[in-house]
Amino acid sequence: MPKHLAPMTATLALSAFLAAPALAGEITVYSSLEDEEIAAYLEVAQREMPDLTVNVLRLSTGDMGARLIAEAANPQADVLWGFAVTNILNPQIYDLLEPYEAEGVDQLDAQYRDGDGRWFAPIGYMGAFCVNTMRLEQIGAEMPRSWSDLTDPAFEGEVVMPDPGSSGTGYLQIAAILQGMGEEEGWQLIQDLDANMAQYTTSGSRPCRMAQVGEYTVGASLSYVAMQGIDQGYPLEMVIPEDYAGYELEGNGLIRGSDNQEEAQRFLDWTLSESAAQVYSEHKAVVTLPGVPRSPLADQAGLPEDLSDVLFQMDFAASGEARDAIISRWRELVGR
Amino acid sequence: MTEAIATLKARKPRMSAEGRLLHMTALVVPLVGLAIFFLYPLAIIVQRSFVQRDGALGLGNYRDVFGMGHIGRVVQNSLVMSGLTTLICVVLGFAIAYALQRTRLPYRRLISVALLLPLLAPSLVQALGLIFLFGRNGLISQATGWNLQIYGLWGLVISNTMYALPQAVMIIQAALRHSDSRQYDAAMVLGASPWRQFVDITLPKARFGLLSAGFVCFTVTITDFGNAAVIGGNYRVLATEIYAQVVGQMNFNMGAVVGIFLLIPTLLAFYLEKVAARRETGGGSESAVPVTPTRSAARDLPLGLVAFAAALFIVAVVGTVVYASFVSLWPYRLDLTLRNYNITAQGGYAPLWTSLVVSAQAAVIGTALLFALVVAQRRLTGGAAKAVYLLAIVPVGVPGLVLGLSYVLSFNVAHPLLGMVYGTTFLIALCNFYHYHSQGFLTMVTGIRTVPPALEETVTCMGGSSLHGMRDAILPVMLPTLVAVFFFLFMRSMVTLSAVIFLITPRLSVGAVSVLRLDQAGFTTQAAAFSVCIMGVVLAAMGLMKLALHLLSRRPEAASSARKLEVTD
Repeated sequence: MPKHLAPMTATLALSAFLAAPALAGEITVYSSLEDEEIAAYLEVAQREMPDLTVNVLRLSTGDMGARLIAEAANPQADVLWGFAVTNILNPQIYDLLEPYEAEGVDQLDAQYRDGDGRWFAPIGYMGAFCVNTMRLEQIGAEMPRSWSDLTDPAFEGEVVMPDPGSSGTGYLQIAAILQGMGEEEGWQLIQDLDANMAQYTTSGSRPCRMAQVGEYTVGASLSYVAMQGIDQGYPLEMVIPEDYAGYELEGNGLIRGSDNQEEAQRFLDWTLSESAAQVYSEHKAVVTLPGVPRSPLADQAGLPEDLSDVLFQMDFAASGEARDAIISRWRELVGR
Repeated sequence: MTEAIATLKARKPRMSAEGRLLHMTALVVPLVGLAIFFLYPLAIIVQRSFVQRDGALGLGNYRDVFGMGHIGRVVQNSLVMSGLTTLICVVLGFAIAYALQRTRLPYRRLISVALLLPLLAPSLVQALGLIFLFGRNGLISQATGWNLQIYGLWGLVISNTMYALPQAVMIIQAALRHSDSRQYDAAMVLGASPWRQFVDITLPKARFGLLSAGFVCFTVTITDFGNAAVIGGNYRVLATEIYAQVVGQMNFNMGAVVGIFLLIPTLLAFYLEKVAARRETGGGSESAVPVTPTRSAARDLPLGLVAFAAALFIVAVVGTVVYASFVSLWPYRLDLTLRNYNITAQGGYAPLWTSLVVSAQAAVIGTALLFALVVAQRRLTGGAAKAVYLLAIVPVGVPGLVLGLSYVLSFNVAHPLLGMVYGTTFLIALCNFYHYHSQGFLTMVTGIRTVPPALEETVTCMGGSSLHGMRDAILPVMLPTLVAVFFFLFMRSMVTLSAVIFLITPRLSVGAVSVLRLDQAGFTTQAAAFSVCIMGVVLAAMGLMKLALHLLSRRPEAASSARKLEVTD
């Protein structure tokens, strides 16, 4: 955790009976990035903008979405940072954002930013399997490389994935399959997978957490979730499915009605700066900013030089609109 | 003396002006609190449930929820799960409460302490403890090679039983705490067997406590989401449905509808209130002689077995969490280490201290308001009594997630007064208190039913004010119940998560959120370590408070209360 935050949090936590209004040179940022990432990015940001204090509230994507909508009448944050673009496209969140042409946003491909300037996404993450190598050996199955591999009867009752109705990660996974294979074949694959699926979890990270302690062999989750488990030393291997990995962009935007617009914009500009790009490359498998050195994570994951080979074009807007229909059809199909 | 009291009883109690003022204050302050911090947020949720997708008001969301293909199964699952849990909790809870209160079972204290553990361990970690022990790769599976199936209905029933059982015991204990040995003596003289005495005296007197406990168990488990998320597997319940709607699909208004569904079981409170209003036969007599627990092998042996088995189970699960917190990589490298206690999540241990501040506020404010409300409600009659009673009981039906979001909707406003509390520990404390309001209320109501009304009237009659009556008559008898409620609020406030997650700010986070974060980021053993710290801090704080209470009760002015306490306890 960022060391400079600790004493501040401690004193404020004990005395904060009343919320102090944000001072000039101070912004409130809502983020769903991982704690470790936030700490690493802020360290650099602090060096470059020593006069700016950034207070970050970190919640998982789902909890953050609910919180943003509940606070909509009186937004508390100045900046939304690293929030799933699929969720940003929900009108309830999209309407909270104010168009802002951040400095350097034009380096991004059109698909990585909003036409109206409400969000831009310099980074993202991918769907990935967490495979417990010890359990894999026990059940005597081959290392799965794709979703189709997971339909092998050897994996019966050994696979866990998130429920697309409860978790953005789960939705990302089935949306990728459906968009990639087309409706008919896609639904067939989802049905075949269901035969091996031990359970559909509520949270997107839970499948990987289950696989890492050996409860199940394969947990379908996200690239960074898998990396966290591997870092801890668990007998895990991360597999980016060869067929339909699916990915999610992490968007940044300016919250409407912010009292600290100038500072907030400065921070947003920074998220597109060269120094930010540098530190993204140390933490992210998916960086959409051009000219960024390839991340060691991408190497570890065995990603090809050109990410667009595995990241087939996701249509986020379409995926957002079709969401309700896909989820109800999915629930009917799996019956769980 | 007895005659004097008898005539007093016959007369309608007259209240002095000061007494009326006190009564009004005791009634109005808690009611205003309930109105602002419970009814108002709830009204906003109700209003939300009628806002359709197109923005118009109507029943569209209700139609949509009823139209969901799986809703019937989810409702049925919820009912089966909560029904089973309630049955187990009430039967087991009664056995344990009886063993604690009416027998001289050796090491009863240990059972009491074991029962505290599920209240002070974050439910997320407790569910992890169950998985570490009974999971597919848990300690037992590894040792025996069995393929246990903890995920699903039974895992959910077990984890929810751990969560609800201590609450059931707390309420039933309050019902069994006071008894009149003269009734038992009379029964014995008339030749009634111990079993007959149990069926005809003990059970009827504990009926209200048992019903209240059943009500609480049913409603807290049907609204609980934490266990369902970790251990429920594919067994979908209504609480999971709310989460899916609100958090998964950002569909607030549909979530509100399901939340309102979950209020339906609280309608059972109408029945409960009817039982409460009924006067107990021979209950709470002012000249009651407390029962001295006796030994009886035929009764104590099975009771002891049941109580210790339950306690052992709880200790095993929580013990596994403690063990995991010292292990370097669960379950692969079991060498012991202190490394997990070097918390790397944002804020380190600071949120733990914030939790203490929040919990102390919740417990102090909560116990005072509940006591006032219960004392005042007792004096009310008819419709007013009924209304207050129901209002006090409804909060238990509101899931934490819904309550938390309703607080954001209500208090994150520009309004100078309402908006002032947003982002403070005070609001989190109030949210936690109202989340557990019903359990505290029912425990106190159960407890105060055993205070003979004549006792306080005597004090008033002998020249004391109502305030004296409260201090000298009610307080001493109620003290054990008050302490139980205080600690209950304190403990739950330390670890409850579902509502709080929406009320923390960048600068104000609590311990339970740190546990969630650590677990989400894969630091499972660190999450366990943080939970152990929470448990340690709560136990230490409770120890200190008990010590203070003990020292206080030895001071001369409080000595009389202490004496009375000894007599009745």
